[in-house]
Parts: sequence; structure tokens; C-alpha cells
Amino acid sequence: MPGVRLRNIVKRYGAAQVVHGIDLDVAEKEFVVLVGPSGCGKSTTLRMIAGLEEISDGLLEIDDRQVNRVAPKDRDVAMVFQNYALYPHLNVAENIAFGLRIRKEPKEKIAAAVEEVAGILGLTEYLERKPADLSGGQRQRVAMGRAIVRDPKVFLFDEPLSNLDAKLRTQMRAEIKRLHRRLGVTSVYVTHDQVEAMTLADRIVVMSDGRIEQIGTPMDLFLNPANTFVASFIGSPPMNQISAIIRSGDSGPVAEFGGQSLPLAPLKDLVGADGRHVILGLRPEFVDVTHKGEDAQVSVDIDLVETLGSEALVHASLNGDPFVIKTETGTDVTLLDKINGFNIDPAKIKVFDGETGVVLPGQELK
Amino acid sequence: MAELDRTAEAEPATYTINQPTRMERIIDHLKADWQIYLLLAPTVIWMLLFLYKPMYGLQIAFKDYSVFRGIAASPWVGFEHFETLFTNDQFIRAIRNTVTISALGLFFGFPVPILLALMFNEVLSQTYKKVTQTIVYLPHFISSVIIAGIVITAFSPSAGIVNSLLNWLGLDSIYFLTRPEWFRPIFIGTGIWQEAGFSSIVYLAAISGVSPTLYESAVVDGASRWQMMWKITLPSILPTIIIMLIIRIGNILEVSFEMIILLYQPATYETADVVNTFIYRQGLQGGQYDLAAAAGLFNAVVAFILVMSANSISKRFSRTSLW
Repeated sequence: MPGVRLRNIVKRYGAAQVVHGIDLDVAEKEFVVLVGPSGCGKSTTLRMIAGLEEISDGLLEIDDRQVNRVAPKDRDVAMVFQNYALYPHLNVAENIAFGLRIRKEPKEKIAAAVEEVAGILGLTEYLERKPADLSGGQRQRVAMGRAIVRDPKVFLFDEPLSNLDAKLRTQMRAEIKRLHRRLGVTSVYVTHDQVEAMTLADRIVVMSDGRIEQIGTPMDLFLNPANTFVASFIGSPPMNQISAIIRSGDSGPVAEFGGQSLPLAPLKDLVGADGRHVILGLRPEFVDVTHKGEDAQVSVDIDLVETLGSEALVHASLNGDPFVIKTETGTDVTLLDKINGFNIDPAKIKVFDGETGVVLPGQELK
Repeated sequence: MAELDRTAEAEPATYTINQPTRMERIIDHLKADWQIYLLLAPTVIWMLLFLYKPMYGLQIAFKDYSVFRGIAASPWVGFEHFETLFTNDQFIRAIRNTVTISALGLFFGFPVPILLALMFNEVLSQTYKKVTQTIVYLPHFISSVIIAGIVITAFSPSAGIVNSLLNWLGLDSIYFLTRPEWFRPIFIGTGIWQEAGFSSIVYLAAISGVSPTLYESAVVDGASRWQMMWKITLPSILPTIIIMLIIRIGNILEVSFEMIILLYQPATYETADVVNTFIYRQGLQGGQYDLAAAAGLFNAVVAFILVMSANSISKRFSRTSLW
């Protein structure tokens, strides 16, 4: 299969194992994002693909060729680094041309390639400037230009937007997406920012502690997290999690927590599972506060309301744990003060096993 | 009473009273950060006592100084001492020697620590690196007198290792330290041996400041170690190299004169006598303090001009400068 294939990739530093057998297939032209908290092994995995870290065990293929022991330069990959890695003594044109010059490409070819890439990235008027005279966004563009100009089989991005301010990050995110659509190069992108992952990826790989927690499309991960870790990582704000006990109700299973209860969808695993400890996952967006008042299924203590314009975040506590509700306000923010509880469609409640945190089967949303 | 109040209100000073004066700001600053200034104090006091106070004595360069009359009571003679100096063949020779030795030292000696640092940077084995670094740093910590002793012994015509080697090759012994044409190579070589290793620390520090991602990026781009050294390491430490060069140029008249005194002898004055040894002989040995002060002042003024020029040239062409 063209693209990138990782089979049981392991990374050890001495006795410490930091990546525990990663299996991943990145299809040709696909944009895959590795996301996870600091120290989850995502950057190490990317660096192993680049050849900057030795692979302790497992198999790495790029375009059907095993490259475990192939030097980085012969893997035909280009990498964009978090701190841009621009050469401060070279100007923009020379920075972009660096990879081609090292490869001793003919001068005319280099000049043409630099010109083309600068055109794509809107850098034409900055070609003579040194990196120190550029803004953060421009430097990031130069770093990408250096990768693009090589015309590699695979792009590797190591948190390329982390050093930019929020506004620029949003802009560059869109630019990267546009660029990928235009160039169609297989890309592996590492970030700790789930918003970046959601917006850029064809598929997201959520990692934690050197293992893959789940692989799927952004919507798949949002709607059907495989476990409580993914649930807490994907989505902004993340999914609320409530510890609960299962009881059998008149019309199906019911979850009880802190003297309150919620009816659940009739999952096979919950039938006759009285007393089973589960974790309920409630997306802030799926919680319905339109009923406000007496007929709310669950009452909460409101702590703080953040108004974001057309929507609002209601920070509350439920059973002593924080609970966040995202609601449309229209423009009548006075309604927010009257919230004291919520309703939710049982089909939209995710039920995770109380011990393992793994989602119970039969709950896939489309 | 009411009238008085109005005049008081009309005082323009009432509007500016909150603007602290420069002095007040300095005092506030001192109060807030007194600990830092306390730490700075010993250096400032040392400089005042040993570098600024002696400047008072510089005036003897323009006086007919006598130890018995003292500095203030000695009569002014204008530029007489400078005239004497510049008509003195020995002084002219000393200037020529100083510039020649320094320029040769700069040419041969300046690149050595840079090369050493670049080489150390490429050494992968930590043990090997530590051992070699210790070996090249070591001469710096040995007293100049001992270094001179080693040099004199090594080049001795009877038992020295150099002449033994020459004899072994069937060549005649050379009286290195009494031959004017050999003084400069021996002196400059000794300087390199003594200081190159220690000077390389500055460049090693600069190299360690180069972002590792620059190298990683170059590795992915396909650069070899050689290319990385030339295209990344060297340009990255160029500002440090320029700063060190400015300092060296500023000190071009300051050849390490203890070493010269230890190694030279009347037979080699012709190529070895520099301004500082000239000052030493005239001033301390010959008691001509005023003439020596004039020579020293001349030295300092030239050094000052050199530093200023090197700095502004560097600022203009490489955007790197000391200030």
C-alpha cells in the first residue's frame, strides 16, 4: 500500500519503553493527525517515521518499502518543526532552497522551485529577508515552504502551530488544510490541540501513554469515543463524565447517581446488570436546558455562566463533580440565570464500563 | 483667605508633582534593587581603585616627572616625551614588533580554538571528548614561568627534544632562542599551545546554543555532518567569532609580555622587543617613568581606536557588535 505503514512500532530508551507497539496505516494523500497529551509518544512516533529516532522494534514502510534502517534523507519525507528550524543566517529564499542545494540540484531548477513555492505561500515579496525580520506566521510559512519545495512523498508536522498566537493559529490551520487539498501529499501531523486535530484531520489517532486509544474520523471520535480517555480529550469543552450505578427501571435500565437518575437506552450489557458501576458520558452540546425548571430530569448547582455570544457555557456541579453545559442563548442571556437542570435523550448518553472506562457495545451514533 | 486659596490652586507645580525627577527615579531604582547593586559594588570599586584612580598618574606622560617632587609638583613638558619616543629607534622597532607578532598571532592563533571547538563538537564518544578537552585545557592552568621553562628546555640546543629530533634526522642543532628569526614562531606557537584549548570553550558554548532542530531539519533535508558543520554550526557561531575578533583586535598591542620577558634576550630583541617590554625596561628598570607612561598612553589610545573601529565596522557589516 502506498503511504505510510507502522507495524508494532516500539521505542525504548534503555529499560524505559515509551511507545508500546503502534499499528497505523496512513493511506496515500491522507491527512492523519496524532493527538494526545504531553508525553504520550506522539512526537516520538513522528520522529521515528522521519528517522530522527531509531525504531527499537517493529516495521516501518513508506510506499511499500521498509525504511527502518534507511537514513532520513533517503526516506523522501519532509518535516516541519514546532520552532520552525529556520537557519537564521540565510534569507527566506536560501532557507527554502536549502534542501535542494544540499542535494546539489541544478541552480535553475532550484530558482524555479523556490519561486513557485513562494508564490503558493505568498512569500514572494519576502524572499530577501532574514528569518529575524519575519513575523511568526511568515516564519511558519517559510518552514512549510522548505518542506514543500522538496516535493516529498510524506509531510511530517511536529506541532507546527504551537508557537503562534490564537488568531494566527486559526489562520494557518486553514492554510495548511488548503495546502493539503492542493498538493495532496500524504501527511502525518502531531498536535496536543484537539481543535487542530478535529479541523485538519481526515483521520485522528488519539494516543496516551505510548499507546493508541482510538483511530477514527473526527466526527467518529466525537460521537463514538471508544473510552473515557478519548471522551475527555476530544470535544471542546470535553464530554462530562458521571459515575453512576445501574438499576432496572420500569421501561429499561436507569442510571443512579447522587440521589438522581437518568433513563438509559436498553443496551444488551445493561439488561439485568443491577448494581453495575458505569460512567455516563454526556456531551455538553447534547444536554438540553430548554425545559428549565420543574420538569428537568436532572438538577444541577450552577456555579458560573460564560456568555460567548450566540452560545453560552454553563459551569455547574453535579454530584460534587464539575459539569458543563453548552447552550444556544439567542440573545436573551437573562434565560441563563433560570437554568437549574437539564434533560437529555437517552440515545445520546454514552455508557462506559466503570472499571475499564471502555464504552459498552451497541451505542454507535451516526 | 479665599483669594489665597485660588492662587494656590493656580500653581502649575501641583500638576507635575507626580512626575518623579530623574534623580528620584534612580533612587527608587536603587531602593528596589539594592541587592543587585550590592553584588555589583565590588567590581565597580575594584575598577575605580585599580583602573580609574591610576589614570590620575597618566599626566606624568606630559611632565618631567620626578619621584621626589611627586606627580602634582613635576613641571609640564607637553609632548616632549612623545617626541623622544618617536625619534627612538628602539620604540619604533617595538611598535613594529608588537604589530607583527600580534598580526601573526591573530592570523595563526585565532582560528585554532574555533577549529578545536568544531572538532570537539563532532566527537561522539563522551569519554574521548572529556580526555582530549582536559588535555588541551591543561596548559592554560600552568603558570607562564613553567610554560617558558618547558619551552626553553624543549628548544635547548644540548638536551632539548627538538634538537635531539633534528640530530636524529642528521641535521645540526639550532640555537632557537638566541636566533631572532625563530623567536616569533616559538612565541606564537607557545601561545597557541597554552591558550587555544581554553579559548575554545567560548565557541563550544556558542555551539551548544545552536538549536538542535536546525540539525534535525538538515538531517531530514539530507545534509552530511560536514555540510552541517559548514552550513549550520559555523554560521551560527559567527556572531561569537566576530565578538571575539573585535576583542582580539582591540588587544592587538597587548601581546602577553610576561611570556616575552621570559623568552627573550638581548640577542632576540630585534624581533622580540614589544611596546610593553620596552615600557617595562624604560620605566621600571631604567626609572624613566614619564617616558614609559607616554609609551603606555600611546598604546592605550591606539587600542581604543582599534576597538572602536572594529566594533563599528562589525556593526555595519554583520549586525554584531559589543555595544
